[in-house]
Amino acid sequence: MNWNPTLPDDGLSRRSFLAAGATGAAITTSGCMNSVRSVVGQAGDDQLSLSIATVPAEGDKQSIQIARRLESNLKKAGMAVSLDVRSQSEMLKAVLIDHDFDIYVGLHPADYDPDFLYETLHSTYANEAGWQNPFGLTNMAFDTLLERQRHSEGDERKRDVQSVLKALAQAKPFDPICMPDEYRLARADRFEGWNEADLTTRHGYLGLEPADGVDQIHALKTDARATSNLNPLSATMRERNTTIDLLFDSLGTVNNGEIEPWLATSWDWTEPDASEQASTLTATVTLREDCQFHDGEPLTPEDVAFTYRFLEDTSLGRAPSSPAPRYQGHVDVINEISVDDDAVDGEYELLFSFEGGREAAKRAFTVPILPKHYWHDLVDGRAADGEFIAPQGRWIAVTGDHIPPVGSGPFQFDSRTQDEQLRLTRYEDHFTLREDVNLPGPTVDELRFDIAPSSSSAIRQVADGNADVTASMLSAYTLDAIPDTPDVEQLKSTSRTFYHIGFNVRNAPFSNTHFRRAVSQLIDKEAIVEDVFYGHATPVATPVTDEWIPESLEWNGEDPVLRFLGSDGELNVEAAKATFESAGFRYDDNGRLLGGY
Amino acid sequence: MLAEVLTQVAVVIAILVPVSIIVFIGRERLARTRSEWRTRLKTTAPMIAVLIVVLLINRVARQVAPKLSRQIGIRLTSAFYNIEGEFILVFQAIQTPETSAYFSSIYVYGYTFLLIFPVIAYFTLSDTRVFRRLLAAYALNYAIGLILYIFVIAYGPRNLMPAELMERMLYDTNPEYQYLTREVNTSTNVFPSLHTSLSATVAAFAWQTRSEFPKWLPVAVVLAASVAISTMYLGIHWGIDVTAGLLLAALCVTLSHRLVGRWSLEELTEKYGDRFLWLQERLPSSQEQD
Repeated sequence: MNWNPTLPDDGLSRRSFLAAGATGAAITTSGCMNSVRSVVGQAGDDQLSLSIATVPAEGDKQSIQIARRLESNLKKAGMAVSLDVRSQSEMLKAVLIDHDFDIYVGLHPADYDPDFLYETLHSTYANEAGWQNPFGLTNMAFDTLLERQRHSEGDERKRDVQSVLKALAQAKPFDPICMPDEYRLARADRFEGWNEADLTTRHGYLGLEPADGVDQIHALKTDARATSNLNPLSATMRERNTTIDLLFDSLGTVNNGEIEPWLATSWDWTEPDASEQASTLTATVTLREDCQFHDGEPLTPEDVAFTYRFLEDTSLGRAPSSPAPRYQGHVDVINEISVDDDAVDGEYELLFSFEGGREAAKRAFTVPILPKHYWHDLVDGRAADGEFIAPQGRWIAVTGDHIPPVGSGPFQFDSRTQDEQLRLTRYEDHFTLREDVNLPGPTVDELRFDIAPSSSSAIRQVADGNADVTASMLSAYTLDAIPDTPDVEQLKSTSRTFYHIGFNVRNAPFSNTHFRRAVSQLIDKEAIVEDVFYGHATPVATPVTDEWIPESLEWNGEDPVLRFLGSDGELNVEAAKATFESAGFRYDDNGRLLGGY
Repeated sequence: MLAEVLTQVAVVIAILVPVSIIVFIGRERLARTRSEWRTRLKTTAPMIAVLIVVLLINRVARQVAPKLSRQIGIRLTSAFYNIEGEFILVFQAIQTPETSAYFSSIYVYGYTFLLIFPVIAYFTLSDTRVFRRLLAAYALNYAIGLILYIFVIAYGPRNLMPAELMERMLYDTNPEYQYLTREVNTSTNVFPSLHTSLSATVAAFAWQTRSEFPKWLPVAVVLAASVAISTMYLGIHWGIDVTAGLLLAALCVTLSHRLVGRWSLEELTEKYGDRFLWLQERLPSSQEQD
């Protein structure tokens, strides 16, 4: 909504783009150097020093190992490196909200559609706090490509997405390392249907058939953050939204990689009128009738329209614009929403108009629908205090714990014990429980998440019959030892999430494309997959699933674009130093890489 | 799971303590304690109260401290790691399934026993000063430890070197222990090692009371050394944390000698007696037996 939707008639050719990428330093740093403290030593003859932010092993066993390998190779290449180890929420705060980092290593949640790259890389978000463009990349060529894949469909879109991927593989604002195999473990005897849907989506917990007398799903999470924060807008308290999607409904629902109607019963597309310049794609969305939030208030088209407006500006226009630190790609594809008064049953119809094609537009249907009465009151309450500011990504509406959460989803909040337990109960009035609705619903009275200290203890509890399922992705080191008995089922999900290293391109030297490219050549993805993931991951050059990857970016035993400078995990130090030198960096007599260049 | 582990700890302690009482304390002392326990309890009540208060503060602070710590604490993980690097991996040389089992049980059961037994043993001494000093030293360890935990935010080696420590990490071989330690401490509280400082405190007291409990000294020293090594062997603490733990122990033992017995309650009550009449009434007249 805040970018110019008209595409240039003649986009940049790939070659001219690559040229732009090669000289990208000037472009990438423009206009976003103001607010960020540079944490990099840059004085002329000082050694270049940088820090790598990541999470401790208790949060994620793999990230810290990737970070230490990178640390070791950066040191060999002559840099002074320190590890900045923070808890998961603190790491995300430093990276996403405060932009106070040099390099970070983490797991990106990605999404079912490559359009997530839009908010991840588009310049319009370079100064915003949240999951939108945490790197601070500002590159017009990228913007053009990202916008183009939004507008196209089918094979054309595939080619447009591939252009983005090719540009990404060259410019490296972040470097995807690998996609971990995603496994979970479930007890076989208490429920039927664990394999019907993916436990990374709400459907994994719905439609299960309990055995006689079973009225509770007992799931184990290894990440305790959901016990202390259930704010659907929080950027730092979760990567994926699975728990939120159980508490909240969305218009559409992602099931096995496809969007299906959920809170909306249908959406009917109207293609833009080619003869009119201003005409855009529209959809008439019919909302399910008589739905209610967990507090008993009705869920109306007004709540739906409010949700998108609120996500776009959580201050509701009463303070400088404050977009939510999540879902920006989802809401920005929408041009306008109006409640359709002319329809026969007008009360339950909304008219969406989009700045993009159907595939990108559908992604907008996956955001959680929020109760207007709750959030509007919250903003009113704050605004009543007189001077109202809503610092973007930092104010209470997006950082508060929001417990108990007011949603309309198939499960409602019951209780929690911080760092130990979260209890949800079936929402008896949920539409999936209606007789005329043929969608999977909550089949048990209670869904209880206990926090297990580690994947291995979670596996043991399920294997011993003390829990039903592991809700978190199992850590790679446990996968070779998963019990293989008839009592338990191994559940495999499509790998979409990816480990990556991200650069803060707001600051030198990370603003320099050559520097980032040289750093990414210090990472042996193949060896990482072997040693850190015990082979339970796929090394990648792109952050999307197979069907989108162009032939030129397919993994063929090494990175197809920027291969590792060494072999078998061992860095060739001379080659690494030569690469940094040809990128314009200098070494002193002691082999230290100098900060000034 | 937590209840399971707690039961195990309770059972082990319930077996070790009576056995140790018979071996290290002897019938004579026990008999005298039976006749004198009321007076001793009265004499030592203030110090017991101090320790309980410190432990309660510790318990409450554990809810509040992490938040405060995030605001005012200094992040030292990187500094510790840069200083000592992979030092603790030297213990890889002695790694076998047996040593892993030994150090795991030392860390959980040995340590608990090491802390509980001296409290009982020193209570059986007619001179209550040793008992009071021990409690004072415990209280000081916890109090100073808590303050350092607030100011220092650091993750232990297991959070940085999961692969190298995989085979012997307490939590992967015995994941149930994590339910226990999670109750007791957060993972950023590694500096100093309170396991080390309290164990070393007990060992120092064992040395000072070697004439009363000659057989206890070697046991306490071996257990204390094992606890200190176990924290590094299991990847829970850095060498720096253990060193700081030893220094803290030395400080607390010294302070406990300076403080306890310096101001006897008798003197204090004389000095401020008018303000604490109620206290005077409750105190036995033969307050200090030295």
